[in-house]
Order: sequence, then C-alpha cells, then structure tokens
Amino acid sequence: MNKTILVALREFVENLSTKTFWIGIFIFPIILVASVVVPTLLEKSKRARTFAVMDHSGWLHDEVMQLAMQRDLNSVLLEAVEAHKNGHPMPSSFPSGVAPFLEKVTHENAHELASAIAFEADTSLIESDAAKLLSDWWRNLSEDQARTYDSWLMAAHYRITDTYGDDVASLNEAIDAETLFAYITIQAEPLDTDPAMTYVCNNFTDESLKHWYGNLVNDVVRRKRVDRYQIDPAIARLLTTPVRMEARKITAEGQEAHVETKDTLHQWVPIAFVYLLWISVFSISQMLLTNTVEEKSNRIIEVLLSSVSPLQLMSGKILGIAATGLTIILSWILFFFFALKALPFMMGMPLSFDLSFIMSDFRYLGSFVAYFMFGYFFYAALLVGMGSVCNSLKEAQNLMTPVILILLVPMFAMVPVGQDPNGTLAKVLSFFPPFTPFIMMNRAAGPPALWEYVATTVLMLVAIAFVFWASAKVFRIGILLTGKPPKMTEVLRWLRAPVGTVPERKRP
Amino acid sequence: METALELSGITKRFGSHVAVNNLSLAIPKGSIYGFLGPNGAGKTTTIRMIMSILYPDEGQIQILGHANSEEIKDRLGYLPEEKGLYKKMKTADIVAYFGTLKGLPLREARKRAKELLVQYGLGDWVNRKCEALSKGMGQKVQILSTLIHNPELVILDEPFSGLDPVNVEVMRNLILSMKRDGRTVIFSTHVMEQAEQICDYIFLIHKGNKILDGPLSEIKAGGLHGIQIDYDGDGQVIRDFPGVDRINDAGKSAEVYLKDSANPQDLLQYLCGRLQIRRFDLREPSLHEIFVRAVGGTSDE
Repeated sequence: MNKTILVALREFVENLSTKTFWIGIFIFPIILVASVVVPTLLEKSKRARTFAVMDHSGWLHDEVMQLAMQRDLNSVLLEAVEAHKNGHPMPSSFPSGVAPFLEKVTHENAHELASAIAFEADTSLIESDAAKLLSDWWRNLSEDQARTYDSWLMAAHYRITDTYGDDVASLNEAIDAETLFAYITIQAEPLDTDPAMTYVCNNFTDESLKHWYGNLVNDVVRRKRVDRYQIDPAIARLLTTPVRMEARKITAEGQEAHVETKDTLHQWVPIAFVYLLWISVFSISQMLLTNTVEEKSNRIIEVLLSSVSPLQLMSGKILGIAATGLTIILSWILFFFFALKALPFMMGMPLSFDLSFIMSDFRYLGSFVAYFMFGYFFYAALLVGMGSVCNSLKEAQNLMTPVILILLVPMFAMVPVGQDPNGTLAKVLSFFPPFTPFIMMNRAAGPPALWEYVATTVLMLVAIAFVFWASAKVFRIGILLTGKPPKMTEVLRWLRAPVGTVPERKRP
Repeated sequence: METALELSGITKRFGSHVAVNNLSLAIPKGSIYGFLGPNGAGKTTTIRMIMSILYPDEGQIQILGHANSEEIKDRLGYLPEEKGLYKKMKTADIVAYFGTLKGLPLREARKRAKELLVQYGLGDWVNRKCEALSKGMGQKVQILSTLIHNPELVILDEPFSGLDPVNVEVMRNLILSMKRDGRTVIFSTHVMEQAEQICDYIFLIHKGNKILDGPLSEIKAGGLHGIQIDYDGDGQVIRDFPGVDRINDAGKSAEVYLKDSANPQDLLQYLCGRLQIRRFDLREPSLHEIFVRAVGGTSDE
C-alpha cells in the first residue's frame, strides 16, 4: 500500500480514539441545541411577575383588563378552533361546556366573539352561558394552567395583586423586599395628564410588563380620546395607521415579486456558514499543528523518516487529519439536516419558516464542503510547516499569533461582505488566497459571477501548491531540528536552499 | 570480501561547521561494525546520511549495491538515537505499523509483531498501550519495530543508552543473533567497552575526522601493552611510580602504561605493601586508550 495512505490511515484511526475528535463531533450539535433550548427553558422557568395597580381614575385599569381578556380569548379561541378542526385535545383546564359552540367559531369571527365576551356586549354569536364560562375561565386561570396553552396568556406571565391596597409605603416596602415586581399608578385624569402613569420597578432589564401594560393602556386611552372628540373611528384608524412600504425584488426571470422571509435568510445564511467554516478550518488545522509538535517532541519522527520520505509523512498527516475533519463536518451536516426539520418547531416558529432550502441549495452546502477543503489544505500545510520547527506547544502557540491575525480579517469583513456580497471589498478580498474560502462562502448569497469562482479557485489551488512546496522544504529541515525555533529570515533561506542541505544557523 | 555499505569521501557541512570530513569506509557484509567516538563527533550525521535523511555535500554512498538508500529503504532497519513511540498505540499495533511502512502486508505484519513481542518476553504487553511500558520495554518495542521486516542491514544509533544491565544484555544478544542470521549490523556508541565486547570491526571518529578503522583484533594487536591492576587503597600510589607514562584510573581498577624503559615487574614490587592488589595483568590496550592516544588527548577525560 502507498506509504502516504498508510500514514494517513494511522492518523485517522488514531484520531478516532481521541477526546478532541469526539468533542469536535458533539460540540456543534450541543451548542446549536443549547442556543435554542436554553432560552426557551429560561423563559419557561421564569415565574409570573406579580404587580399591583393603584388606579386613581377608577376606570382605566378595569378597561385594560377587559382588553387583555379580549386579546387572550381571541388567541385561545383560534387555538381551540385549530385543535377542534384537527381533532387534537385542548388542555384540560379549557371549559368543556363551550365545545358545541366552537363549531360556529371561525378565523374571521373569533375577534368579534372575544370582544363580545370581554366587553359583555350583546351578540348572537354566543349564548350567555358559554360566554360566562369563558370569562370565568380567563379570570380564574392559574399560572401553571396558562402555560399548558400554546397561546401567550397573561396568566402565564403576570399576576395582579391587591394585597397592598393603595398604601404607597407598603408597596415600596414590597418592591424593596422583592415580594412585588412592580406597581403602576394611574393618575385621576389619565386622558389629560402627562405623564398619565408611573411605573415603579427595580428591575431595569426585564421591561416586558411595562411594555405589555403600556400597550394596552395606549389602546384604551386612544379609543377614549377618539370618542371624546367624536372623531369617526374610521378616520381615527386612518390617522393612526403607519404608512406601509412593501419590499419587492426582481427575480431571475426579470419579474417583480414579494420579498419573503426566505429571501432575507438567503442573505444571512452564508454568514452562519462562514462562522462554521472558520471554526472548522481553524480548529482542524490546529489539530494538525498540535499533532506534529507532539510527534516531534515524542522523538518518533526519525524512526518514521527511515521508512517514509518527509513529503510522504507530511502529506499523510495532512490527509489523515483531513479525513478526521471531514468526518466531523459530515456529522455536523447530518445533524443540521435533521435539526432543520425539528428546529422551527422547537423554536415555536410557524411552519412557513422553512429552512430546508439551505440543505437543498448547492451554493451553500457545496461551497461549504469545497471551501472547507481549500481552507483546510491551505492552513494545514502552513501549520504543519510551522509545527515542524517547534519543540513545544508553547512555541507553536507563539507562532500561531500571526496566523490568527490573518484569520481575523475574514471575520471582521463578515458583515460588510454579507451586506454587499458583490461590492468592491468582497471582490478584492476574494482574490487573497488566505481569505478566499471565507469570503467566497460569505458571498454565496450574491452570488459571485462564474468567472470569479473560476479565477479565485485557480488562484487558491496555486497558493495551496505553493504552501505545500514551501512547507515540505521547511518540514524536511525543521522536523529533525531541536533547540530554538528558527527566525523568519532563516526559514526563507531554507526555502531557497536545495533539498537535503541545511543552511547555516545564525547564532546570536 | 563483499561489502554491505561503502562510503567514499563523504563530507557534510552545517554552514561553516564541518560535521563529517572526507570520510571513506567499507563495511563488510555479515559483520558487526561499531561507530565509535565521543558525543558530537559526527556519528549520528554519518548515520543520517547513510539513511538519506541528510544528503552528503560531497562523496558517494553505495548501500547494498545501490547509490541511493531511498530505493532500498525497505531492506534497511534503523533505530535512531532519538526514538519514541506513539504513546496511545498498542505495542502490537505500532510494531505492525512500522512493518507495513516497510512494505509488509498488514496481515503478515500483525502476525509477526505478535510473534516478536512474545519471543522477546513482551507477550503480556501485546494489547497494552505504549505509555504503560517501562523505558527498557519501550526500547525493546522500538528495536522490534526496526527488525520486523527482516532487514539485511540494521543501523542502531546508541542502542545501549539508557538501558539497565539486564536490558543491555538483551540488546547485546539481539545484535549477536542478527549477526548469526547473516545480517550486517552497524551501531554507534560513545562507550568503548560495549564496542570492545561484540564488534568485529570498528571505526573511530573524532570532530568529523576518521581516526582509524579496521578489524578490532588488528587494531588491538598494535604492539602496545597495558597493565590492568585491580586494587584497594589510594590509587595515587601508582601514579607516584616513576616509570608510569599514562594511567586510566577508575578508582578500584586502573589501566597503566609504562615508559619504554620501565619494567612491569618493578611496578609490581613497588606496589607490594603500598596497595592491596587483587589482580595484576599484562594485556592488550583498551579501546579507550587507543582512542586517547590517537586523538592525542589527556588520559582521564
């Protein structure tokens, strides 16, 4: 068997039993799952915030609660209709008495129904018994019950208390003791006072309660003002509606079309891939560096060199670790493939939020694998040459610093290039082989012109060949060298020296 | 006489430093050939050139009838001075791995690796990782890795360094058994006594220059005689004898060379009563003495 393959095979088999390999396999899935699951869990574990309201107006808070009820009922009714249609059961706390009338509820009338129940308006849509059942259900819903619904329900997040009455001193005390999250004071004439309310709370980061309550108050007050000046509600609505701007794009067929979420994602997906590419190229070629230095300090190199040539040894190592790296990457892709099926569901996103285009689009996966190989071979050859002159990992780390600095360039350029994938910066950086894999991946959404793909690939291959040649020369001399690592100028002299000779070392 | 290896006028420079200077050697097939010299004399550089790890700046190397050892790497076995093992590999796997690198089919390499390990008393260690081995056992695994493919020419760089007496014995027997199998063995050492015991031929190198080479018996039979004295007491007494030319005193035993005019019998008489003598023996000079005389250095270095 070819000796290069033998070296590569040993390297690969050996790596399979290292911790680094298995950490590599699992780290990405773990991070991905954690980044989705942990915030969800944290959100779930957050207990409902208790708050108090001192309403000096005498009416505003009651109307706010009615509005809150209307919104909650609206979403829960839609959930119930959906569940009823699909034959799924509703959470057990949902009143079973309303089941027969759910037949009449549709997406169109759910809002009207909810309003009727919340504002106790007369309607033919619902019998008063069922209406009463639902409003009682909403009022008495416990926090734990509320969490069993898919809809966002007030009871799951906020709980109102009247324990403290209107006693400001005991309210303040409760805030201080953290038994009360916040309290809201509504002025006597909220329609004419500014500010109409105060919000007392010592938590300055979680402002969701303030926004939620403020939003409801806004709606109520706005409606009251419209009433007071007898403005036609239709006119009022017109006045308060913001101007919409519709984003459109020109398709490949030259047609105008809506810009969908998918399109925006297309623009940003490459960035995620660049991150992944960067991490994998960096960590896997560093694996090779560590491995070379260890082998050198293990004193096994010379035994190997009596059986294989330095070039065979070097290429064997590079190939062996490439196989290891590809195994890790493929396991990630496989995981990603399955995660994409489950991810939108896990994040509670609608099914229309389809990420599977990432898997089917060759521009992403194809370029990812290709640019991983390019990037890996370039940096692996560079690092294996560097590793060959180091005697300890510490020395190797010192030598790594300039390489890391080079690698930071595509990192910093990531967002600008993502925003303008065919801009000057993107185009220029694509032609620097150390950056090519990252920048071209980054530009995938552009996408770059075919000639750019061809030209940068040719340039990249030339660069890889050059780095291989240079590293092989350095490797041949460096691998048997002990003592202080050589200076850059010395390494340059090695490159010019004929094979097998060792130029003089400069002594300090 | 058939030669396994022939060096003609090889020179190796590292910058301005001449590591090996115009060296010519002929190494007969089937012999045990010792490369001797102090540390830094050029032994390892010479060996690396033979193995094509370094290339000579001048001169030619003819090895097993080939000009380039790259072509016949699979017929050579090489144990470098700086040697190590993959710590995480099992002993049988690493021996087999080196076998496959030397061209053995995997199946055969595995089989032979196990056989060799069992044969050399490492049968219990076949499935253990190399990191668990003691230094002596590690050395054994290393040498088995160099021998697994039955090389015609074996080159061992400082094979005895770091071994305890028991393992030195094992190594020596191994070298002798290789000779019996008709292999050529070259080994380097800076400990002259080890070479004296088993070498057929020796080559002495000092500061890159060849001092002498040839059959050990001829080199020793140069007409020079020394006196081996084993004693208890203060060795200074021997130095005080007026006829002493040079002395290699090890504390309990000394090798004494007299001036041409002096008589060994007089020395014996002189020492009686002054020292407790356990042995007084007239014999061939030690390699150490030959070396010291050849390079013109002092006796006790």
